[in-house]
This record gives sequence, C-alpha cells and structure tokens, in this order.
Amino acid sequence: MRILNFAATILIAILAAQAALAHAFLDHAEPRVGSTVPSAPKEVALFFNQKLEASFSTIEVSDASGARVDQGKPMINATTMRIGVKPLPPGTYTVRWQVLSVDTHTTEGKFNFQVGK
Amino acid sequence: MSRHLLHTLALAGVMAVTCTSHALAHCFVGARFFPATLATDDPCVADEMSIPTVAWSKTADVPPASQLDIGIDISKRITENFGVTVSQDWTSIRQPNGTLMQGFGNFETTFQYQILKDRDHELAILSGLIVDWGRTGSTGSGFATDYSLVTPTLYVGKGFGDLPSNFGWFRAFAVTGQVGYQIPTNSFDFTQNAFIPQQLVYGASLQYSMPYLKSEIIDLGLPDFINHLIPIVELSLTTPVSNNFGNPYTTTGTVNPGFIYIGSTFQVGLEAMIPVNRASGTGVGVLGQLHLYLDDMFPTTIGQPLFGGTSSPRKLTF
Repeated sequence: MRILNFAATILIAILAAQAALAHAFLDHAEPRVGSTVPSAPKEVALFFNQKLEASFSTIEVSDASGARVDQGKPMINATTMRIGVKPLPPGTYTVRWQVLSVDTHTTEGKFNFQVGK
Repeated sequence: MSRHLLHTLALAGVMAVTCTSHALAHCFVGARFFPATLATDDPCVADEMSIPTVAWSKTADVPPASQLDIGIDISKRITENFGVTVSQDWTSIRQPNGTLMQGFGNFETTFQYQILKDRDHELAILSGLIVDWGRTGSTGSGFATDYSLVTPTLYVGKGFGDLPSNFGWFRAFAVTGQVGYQIPTNSFDFTQNAFIPQQLVYGASLQYSMPYLKSEIIDLGLPDFINHLIPIVELSLTTPVSNNFGNPYTTTGTVNPGFIYIGSTFQVGLEAMIPVNRASGTGVGVLGQLHLYLDDMFPTTIGQPLFGGTSSPRKLTF
C-alpha cells in the first residue's frame, strides 16, 4: 500500500508540475464558435488554455467568398490572440487559426460565426 | 552503383523518415485529436504511456471464472514517424471454487510507422508489426505461450470535420479501425494437443468529440467537464481463419461503450465490455485506463523522438 501511495504521489506531482505545458486548445472565442451575433464585431478574439509563441501563431478571418476581412497584425498576449476585422456586413465568416504553444506543440482549427442573420 | 551514391540514397532515406514540419506528437491530425483508445490502438505513433490498463470480466466457462487483467504499455518515437511500443500484461483468474491462477502474459513489442497524416481530411494511416514474444511470460500457468505471435497490422483514423458545414454537429464524429493478421510461429501446440490457428485480429471505434464540437462547430456553453469528454464505442474482435482443424471458426470479442476524459497531459477512459457472443465471455465486464501524454509532460526530453527530434517551429500557412 505504501508503494501505491508513493506512486500516486509521484504521479500527481508530475501532472501538477507539467500542467502549464501541453498542446494549446481553444478554450473559447469572441464571437463564440458557431454563434450568430446581432451586430458586427470589431475584432475576433481567441482564448487558449496554454501560453502561445507569438512569432509562430497566426489567425485569419474570411467571408463566405473566401476574401480576407481581417486587418492589422494579430495581437498575442499570453493565452489570448486577437485580430481586428473590417466592417462586416451580415453573412457567414470563417476564422482559421494555427498556434504554437510555448512547449513547441502546434495546434490548429477553424470555425464559423454569423453576423446579423 | 557507386558507394558515394549509396551513401547519398541512404542519407536521403533517413531524412525522409525523420524530416517533419512541426511538432504534433500524440494523435493530432489537423484540428482533429484522436484519443488513445482502450481496446484498440489509435492511428498515430506517439510518446505515451498507459499505466495501467485494467480489465475485469467473467470468462465464457460454465460456471464462469472472474478474470482480472492489468497491463502497462509505453510507446516511444524513434523518429518522428517510427515508434516502438512495449507492453506487458498480468492476469489473475479466480474460479468459482476459489482456485486462483495468476501470471504474466508474453512480452509484446509493436513497431509502427506513420504512413500518412492528412490534416485537411483528418485522415491518419499507420502500419504496424506486433510481436508477442514466446516464452517471455508465465508459460507454466498457461498465461503465456512457448511460441511467438506475429501480427502485421494496419490502422486508420478518419474525422468527419471536412464535411460541409451544413452537416453541423455530425462533423464531430470520427472513426478509427485496425485489422491485423496474426501468425503463430508454431502450427501445433503439443501442450494443448491442438492446432494453433492463424487469426484475423480487428477492431474499430466510433467516437464523438465534445472538444471538437466546442472549438470547431458550436460552443454550447456546456460545463467544462463535458467539453473534455469523448463518448466512444469500441469493437474488438478475433476470428480464426486457417490452421484451425477440428475447432469452430467462431468470432470472439467485445463491444465497449464508454467515454474518455481528455486532460492537458493525460486522459482517463472507462468502458463497459459486452461480449459479442457466448464464446466471448459472460455478462458485462469493465475496462479502465489512465493514459499519459509523455510528449506533453516532457516536451524537451523523453517526449521528443530519439533521432531527428523536431525541426525548428515555423509559422504555418493555411
């Protein structure tokens, strides 16, 4: 039983110590993934569960025709990535992102949101 | 062919095996994450460890005996696309009259090579060779054989996130499958006085990723715990196909409904094991696993491939 307790203690310690690493998953976004917002947002913000490497993380926002509607450079602060968008008429928009977490693991994703429909 | 050219080709081959674009490590294929499945294998090489996998079930005997299996396995990437897994199982069978039999199965080694990872189509294909080494377990108690088993195996994983967006929530589904042909190194077991059949060993999983639903399709604002779950149904089957003279060609296996909880550096899985027929067992068993992502826990040391490492990160293009 002592061995089991020791093993469990070591395991918990390892997990706790490493909790700040790992792949960066998208925790939530503004506008929310798959949502419909009544008015056009001025920016798209992504919130991750890990810190990001700014130099190797990127984001794009495009309209239904595939034309880019983001503007300016992505702003990355710890676990958050933001990018401004042009005035968005009603329609469906796609956000594509790729990020590198501080432990060098890459993750990527894509989601839609709608404006004013 | 000149010696210099041979060296160049050899170096090119090594580079082809080890060259990678960026670190994905455990089973990420584009936006899709395939978890480590419990009864079958996921379609990627990785640095990971299952410690332990525990299964409890009742055998097909009449009356049935209780069987407890405890296994560990450690997977290590040698290069970015080639990995080796070592596994060891310990089994305990308690008969209804209280008789207890315990012992280790044969030591198992799996060599795997990642054939394909297509991130746009969330498709992964992996080839493998499973070797169950004879005389490395408790042969005296019957839990291990004195012959080896060699099983070439193909693994596939496919996520449905590449379907058009009007498929909606369905896009969070993914399937994995594997099929192997098990060849024993002996054709006759003189201890059991029986032929040793060659067998088809196959399985599949159907999984629904709540993390994928939340981050790719629609964020329903569900509790955080729910957003980490992957409900899953696994199917694990074995069918004798040749050298089975005098024995029935009966398929045995289990259907395993359950779920996997995905954490940052680990996952926990729990499944019921439902025998597919009377020959596969009695009643419903339980299968549980704690699985650690070594590449996430130790990203700069043992979480890296032994050779080739991971190339410098670069800004990716869509």
